[in-house]
Amino acid sequence: MGLAIDVRDLRKSFGDFEALKGTTFSVEESEIFGLIGPNGAGKTTTLRVLGTLISPTSGVAEVFGHDVVKEAGKIREILSYLPEDAGAYQYLSGEEYLRFMAGFYARERSAVEEMVQAGKDISGLGDRLKDRVNGYSRGMKRRLLIARALMIKPKLAILDEPTSGLDVIQAYHVRGMIKDYAENMGVTILVSSHNMLEVEYLCHKVALINEGNIISEGTPEELKVRYNAVNLEQAFMEATQLG
Amino acid sequence: MGSFTSIVYKEIKELIRDPKILFGVVLLPLLLYPLMGQGLQISQQSVQTAIRGAQFSVYSDDNGQVAGIFVQYITTNNTITNIQATGLQDALVKFKDSNSVAMVYVPNGYSQNITDGLKGHVKIYGNLKNLNIAEASGVEVAGSLVSVYNYYYSLAMIKQLMVATGNLGDSEAIRSPLSISYASIIKGNVIEVAPSQITSVILSQSIMLPIMVMMMVIFAIQMAATSIALEKEQKTLETLMTLPVGRLTILSGKLAGSVVIAVAGSISYMIGFGYYTSSAFSFAPQLTSIDLTGVGIGIQPIGYALLGIVMFVTLVSALALAISLAVFTDSVRSAQSLTGVLIVPLIIPAMILMFSDIEMLPPAIQWIMLAIPYTHTMLATKAAFLGNYWLMMRSILYISVFTVLVLWIAAKIFSTERIITARFMSFSFGKKKRQAN
Repeated sequence: MGLAIDVRDLRKSFGDFEALKGTTFSVEESEIFGLIGPNGAGKTTTLRVLGTLISPTSGVAEVFGHDVVKEAGKIREILSYLPEDAGAYQYLSGEEYLRFMAGFYARERSAVEEMVQAGKDISGLGDRLKDRVNGYSRGMKRRLLIARALMIKPKLAILDEPTSGLDVIQAYHVRGMIKDYAENMGVTILVSSHNMLEVEYLCHKVALINEGNIISEGTPEELKVRYNAVNLEQAFMEATQLG
Repeated sequence: MGSFTSIVYKEIKELIRDPKILFGVVLLPLLLYPLMGQGLQISQQSVQTAIRGAQFSVYSDDNGQVAGIFVQYITTNNTITNIQATGLQDALVKFKDSNSVAMVYVPNGYSQNITDGLKGHVKIYGNLKNLNIAEASGVEVAGSLVSVYNYYYSLAMIKQLMVATGNLGDSEAIRSPLSISYASIIKGNVIEVAPSQITSVILSQSIMLPIMVMMMVIFAIQMAATSIALEKEQKTLETLMTLPVGRLTILSGKLAGSVVIAVAGSISYMIGFGYYTSSAFSFAPQLTSIDLTGVGIGIQPIGYALLGIVMFVTLVSALALAISLAVFTDSVRSAQSLTGVLIVPLIIPAMILMFSDIEMLPPAIQWIMLAIPYTHTMLATKAAFLGNYWLMMRSILYISVFTVLVLWIAAKIFSTERIITARFMSFSFGKKKRQAN
């Protein structure tokens, strides 16, 4: 299998502030890859660069061999991006929202309906999909958004803090949705989170990021062994020499 | 459905389902203005009824024959109470406690003055119990009664003098030896109508259009800015920007959706405001109907067509400007505050040009006004009435150039990461921006 994501010496500055300071990592196809780190570590900036939302100051970022700057259009055709704390259109129903989004990926009516049906199944929201989004709970909105991100069968799904702000039960459901889908469909998923336990449960491979640098990379087991830690949280603290 | 149509459709759905937009922009003008018109009509009718039923009083301190004739004249012709009192103070107390709205007081010496060929003086007291328009109008009616008497009494005196001196002629002509009539020259044609009448007719017709345009653009600006700010606030824009659709398609789709709702809002505003003016001013006597189309005044079909283009380019330019500004905000509230500033250059030219011409202004102000694209919208609406199509086309050209420039800026902003990272706060207060993670 080839590389789904290839990031080399990626730098991104906002004025005087350098958010990424030479980030390097790669993700294999069909892998669930976790980017973990504290707030302000550079997770969202990395995901936004890969999501073609912002351009790097220097370095290389490629998605399935396409450069994020030169071939942004091609990447958008195979990518699904879910921002942290994203919302859906309040005055559309859940089903209308899924149909609106599906329309950008399929031209044939039957293909659109197929995607919408997939979205309905992934979300598990049933009849509530006929209600307007402004009546949804936070957890329902997140399920709808993840269903939107996955229903198009992207080659790469970027999920920024997918369970952020959800309670234990909602977070459990959302994690289950992502894991099941990735296993069944073979989609590459890049997840960012500061919830180390979530990443340990979901991801095949993890990169620890702090202050714009990848400080360590490997499978959750490898990282725990490397830092002689009982979990990823402890491994992260050891890696950043804060433990 | 293509991406553009899909975005427009979504935009319209979102806007029309938002109760604030649906009620505030589309339904409120249809409800509020007719209600206001009805309210005004009812109050004006009440005033008229009150004036028709108004009661007056008269009190005379003069026992002379001339004063007697005056008192008899007004008491015979109207339902006027002749107050019997010991003096003016007593009369005023009785008048105050009565239902009369005005009291005509004839002081002592009135008859003597008239007999001596001097002016006879009368005084009218108004009984302002509730300080309303009906009371003030009632007092004016009493004044009119005295004026009518004054007119006929002066004619009678002139006739008497003419008989006494053996002069011939018309007493009316002697009282007012000159008569004036007015005519106007418009576009080389002489029409037998006073200039003031023509300007009042044009003003009454042309004042509506700038108001409509102004309101339509204000609606559109607020909607477009809110729409972008809401997308940023809810991070739906971030998602939209990662979809396989051109950024220009997103921009134009959002613009088109806002235009549709703004036009719907304007139509409802026109219907509501039209009903308001027709019902609120139904009590007013109709102005002499002047057909000005024969002399080239009034909007011709080509004028309407050009006016439509003017409004369209104005709308698009305002929307593009609103969207460009809203990009630099991160919440609906800040977008609305920021676009509130945009409304200022819109209202000022409208207000100034509603009552004066641009040529009347000092040159420096003229140049500043002409630099504002929305001044040209107002100039074009006036030009439509006068059939000045070159001026209209010049306005269209200026606004179009401005629109293209703004759209180019908006498209540039949309095609860069600024759409995601820009924050107005960092521009206005020079704070260092820090990317959230």
